[in-house]
Amino acid sequence: MSALSEAPPAARPQLGPGTWAALVTLLAGALCLIFAPRLPWLTAWPADWVLLDTKSLSAWLEAALRFIRPAARLVSALLAYPMGWANALFLATPWPLFIGIVTAIGWLIGGAAMASLGFLGLVFVLISGYWAEGMSTLALVAVSVPVALLAGLAIGLLANEVPRVKGAVQVLLDVMQTVPTFAYLTPLVLLFGFGPVVGLIASAIYAAPPMARNVILGFERVETEIKEAAIMSGATRFQQLFQVEIPAAGRQIMVGFNQCLMAALSMVIIAAVIGGFNDIGWEVLLTMRKALFGQSLLAGLVIVAFAVVIDRMSGALAFERARHDRRVALAILGVALLATLLVWWRHPDPEAFRLLTPLAEAVDKGLGAFTASQGATLDALKNNAMFYGLLPLRIGLDDSVLPFTWGFQWTAWMSGAWFAVAALAGLALALSGRVTAGIALTIGLGIIETGIAQLPWPFVLIGAGALGHVAGGRRLALLSVVLLLAILVSGLWDRALLSLYLCTASVVACVLVGGALGLASAVSPTVWRVVRPVCDMLQTIPLFVFLIPVLMFFQIGEFSAFLAICAYAVVPMIRYTRHGLVETPPEMVEAATAAGATTWQMLRDVRAPWAAPTILLGLNQTILYAFSMLVIAALIGTTDLGQSIFLALGQADIGLGVSAGAAMAILAFIADRLVQGFARGQREALGL
Amino acid sequence: MKQLALGLALAAMATGTTAAEMGAVDQPIKLAINEWTGQHVTTHVAGEMLKAAGYKVEYVTAGMMNQFQALADGDLDATLEIWSSNVSDEYAKKIGEGTVVEIGDLGLDAKEGIAYPAHVAELCPGLPAWEALKACAGAFATAETLPMGRLVDYPADWGTPGADRMTGLALPFKAVPAGSEGALITELRAATEKKSPLLITFWQPHWAMSAYDVKFVDLPEGNEACFTDPAWGPNPNAVNDCDFAPSRIFKAAWSGFAEKWPAAYEILTAYQLSVEDQQPMMGAIDVDGGKVEDVVAKWMSANEGKWRPVVEAATK
Repeated sequence: MSALSEAPPAARPQLGPGTWAALVTLLAGALCLIFAPRLPWLTAWPADWVLLDTKSLSAWLEAALRFIRPAARLVSALLAYPMGWANALFLATPWPLFIGIVTAIGWLIGGAAMASLGFLGLVFVLISGYWAEGMSTLALVAVSVPVALLAGLAIGLLANEVPRVKGAVQVLLDVMQTVPTFAYLTPLVLLFGFGPVVGLIASAIYAAPPMARNVILGFERVETEIKEAAIMSGATRFQQLFQVEIPAAGRQIMVGFNQCLMAALSMVIIAAVIGGFNDIGWEVLLTMRKALFGQSLLAGLVIVAFAVVIDRMSGALAFERARHDRRVALAILGVALLATLLVWWRHPDPEAFRLLTPLAEAVDKGLGAFTASQGATLDALKNNAMFYGLLPLRIGLDDSVLPFTWGFQWTAWMSGAWFAVAALAGLALALSGRVTAGIALTIGLGIIETGIAQLPWPFVLIGAGALGHVAGGRRLALLSVVLLLAILVSGLWDRALLSLYLCTASVVACVLVGGALGLASAVSPTVWRVVRPVCDMLQTIPLFVFLIPVLMFFQIGEFSAFLAICAYAVVPMIRYTRHGLVETPPEMVEAATAAGATTWQMLRDVRAPWAAPTILLGLNQTILYAFSMLVIAALIGTTDLGQSIFLALGQADIGLGVSAGAAMAILAFIADRLVQGFARGQREALGL
Repeated sequence: MKQLALGLALAAMATGTTAAEMGAVDQPIKLAINEWTGQHVTTHVAGEMLKAAGYKVEYVTAGMMNQFQALADGDLDATLEIWSSNVSDEYAKKIGEGTVVEIGDLGLDAKEGIAYPAHVAELCPGLPAWEALKACAGAFATAETLPMGRLVDYPADWGTPGADRMTGLALPFKAVPAGSEGALITELRAATEKKSPLLITFWQPHWAMSAYDVKFVDLPEGNEACFTDPAWGPNPNAVNDCDFAPSRIFKAAWSGFAEKWPAAYEILTAYQLSVEDQQPMMGAIDVDGGKVEDVVAKWMSANEGKWRPVVEAATK
């Protein structure tokens, strides 16, 4: 086709690895395009080529799980004890005393600011009316976090002591963080039995990796002089480790502790899906099922209150070393005891202080009224986004441009014209010296014509391999292709492409919106003061809560799923963009100011290139967040891998759950490695 | 009311209930609390009956789809409202293994169907007759389904009865799976607020039936032949061209239940609850904001004749 004729002459002068990769991909795309009408197996992977039978996988896995079940049951029987104690302790403590203890701890850690944060956070929990449920949740976290901390510490120590396994440990940590929890809940129930212990273990699996990563990082940063001093003074390996290296890595380990806590808290809602525990996550699920937005928001905010208090306090523990007067803490406890005697004696039931219900109902009514008055506008917004954005991206211009969407029918002639324009635009760019960008533009326009969900698989494989080669050399290229092949033979390819499409659409939107918000936050501290708490809330509130307003406005469908994913995945993009732009070294800023740069010149020519690796890291996180949100978007009724995982959970189909979870993790893993590879390249270019 | 009490008593006699051993009264019987209010009512009534018989009862929250492994392991002892329309495959597996046993129907008369909020009748004149849908499919069309109309079907893991009806009756509607019950309710709520068209697969008893004034479409009354013989019914070329097969609501217990608590087993087997009793209690909880314990306690004291005989037949 025309795309073929333009590439070679423009590319001949100098071919970097990027240009080569783009060329190969373009060639593969063009060949697929030519042969697709004659060879249907290029676009649809034939059913006979599916090698993995989820039924026999289920049977096989189930047999394996049954084999190790007695050991697992022993673990859960042992864990049931601390779980029961923690639950009894948290629920039996009178609420004024509990508030007092947290306030006093806040004072000891961070003075008046932390004390008032702890006090206000818990008073909010009290007046929300979810005190008992909240305490159950804290009990779950109180047991799962030590388990996760020990596991993380052990994994980190192992990687440090036996450098050979470091690579394998990194892969293990990636798997623990990218396989969606829903995918392995069913096997966990089979192994550990029903009840809160399953939630506890699921949240420990998810929360251990941040701890392990920070432990590894902490050990790497311990200075060699310190280690050598320990060796020279004749310490055994054990003494070196526990008396020198762990204390020296203490700060980094505390960062891990903080992130571990936050991760455990974010899993609370997942634990509730299994049940067995009357916690706050269960309340969110119940209110969500009744489509009561105000009430589920209130229950969700209880988790946010816990998260903010725990995050700020454990963060302060890691960085602040200020001493605060112990007598004040004792005084706070004294007041709490007095309050317990005076108030709790008469009102032992925290339910009596439920004050926020009218507010929740008002929020709920407001949502209804808004939907009623803005219905037409919302529908128009959704239809435009579908017709001109999402549909073409999914099924391509050739299938989505129809008389009742765009007002005319797309024809083969138009396809030809579109490809010609794509080739010419690419050629123009290539001739102006940007060969790789030109080829990439041609490929991108070609994808829009075909649609992501209908891309031929050889094209996707070769494209991923080429990108992998540029980002991380031959190994990454080979790994990407092999892993994608695994999805193909497992028969989940169509669903994987749908996941890829939803993620691509969301990530593109997040980059645009999040980048702009991050930029605005970097330029104006006022904007950041507004954006920051919103980011905090979006990251810790159970995402189920936002499904209700999104569904009220835009109904079941892809657009709602797209918005729900964006709401969660946009946060890292904002944070990292701002962070990267703000953290430019002052010498560079001064030099640019001395040279007479305006604010915008500074941003574009100094800060932006410097921030690029950080922003790429943000992009990486945004992609991973988008993938993790796909499973929750299944509650809206998507048809991708997330839905398969959800379906498998409902039907207790271990084989489907595990294979769909693995497919999801593969997509996330490849995207992660590609972006990290590019970020590394960028950092090297900057000489970091 | 009296009729039901009589029914209960008869049911009790029919199963040959005689006073049974109490069994392990010192150990609590764990009843599953699933995600919906009707089930909470059903379970709390049963739990209070067991308490009246002298047992200890513990209510344990459990995901509806994932409770059967717990039931098989004896981590849960009974679950009292299983809908045949959305029971997971795992249930059949556990019944096959013999680790879970079915303990009879609940007596709750359920109806499933294609439904719409009342205001939709103005947008599609001719409803509730199903034939009206042929002409007004366009009114239900959305960006994702054009040119066909949109039917919001059950979440994918409950099966696709709505889609089957549309194919069977050759109606120009595309079924969109809802993903969750919350999504179904949100659709109903949004359509009612916006006065927009909506066709949805739904069921009763459900509190939303009255809260959003939901009506069922009249589908051709079916029989066995409808689901097996294409020639039967208005569409000569397809099966499923009739109303939903009636769904069964039943109870199940851990296989060791009968041996451990014989009298309790008899109570739960004989236990029946009707739509007329359950629906007002659901309303008192979901619409009027009552607590399930209080609402059930009130019903128990006002309707002693309906449950006391079952307890006494098993214990005295």
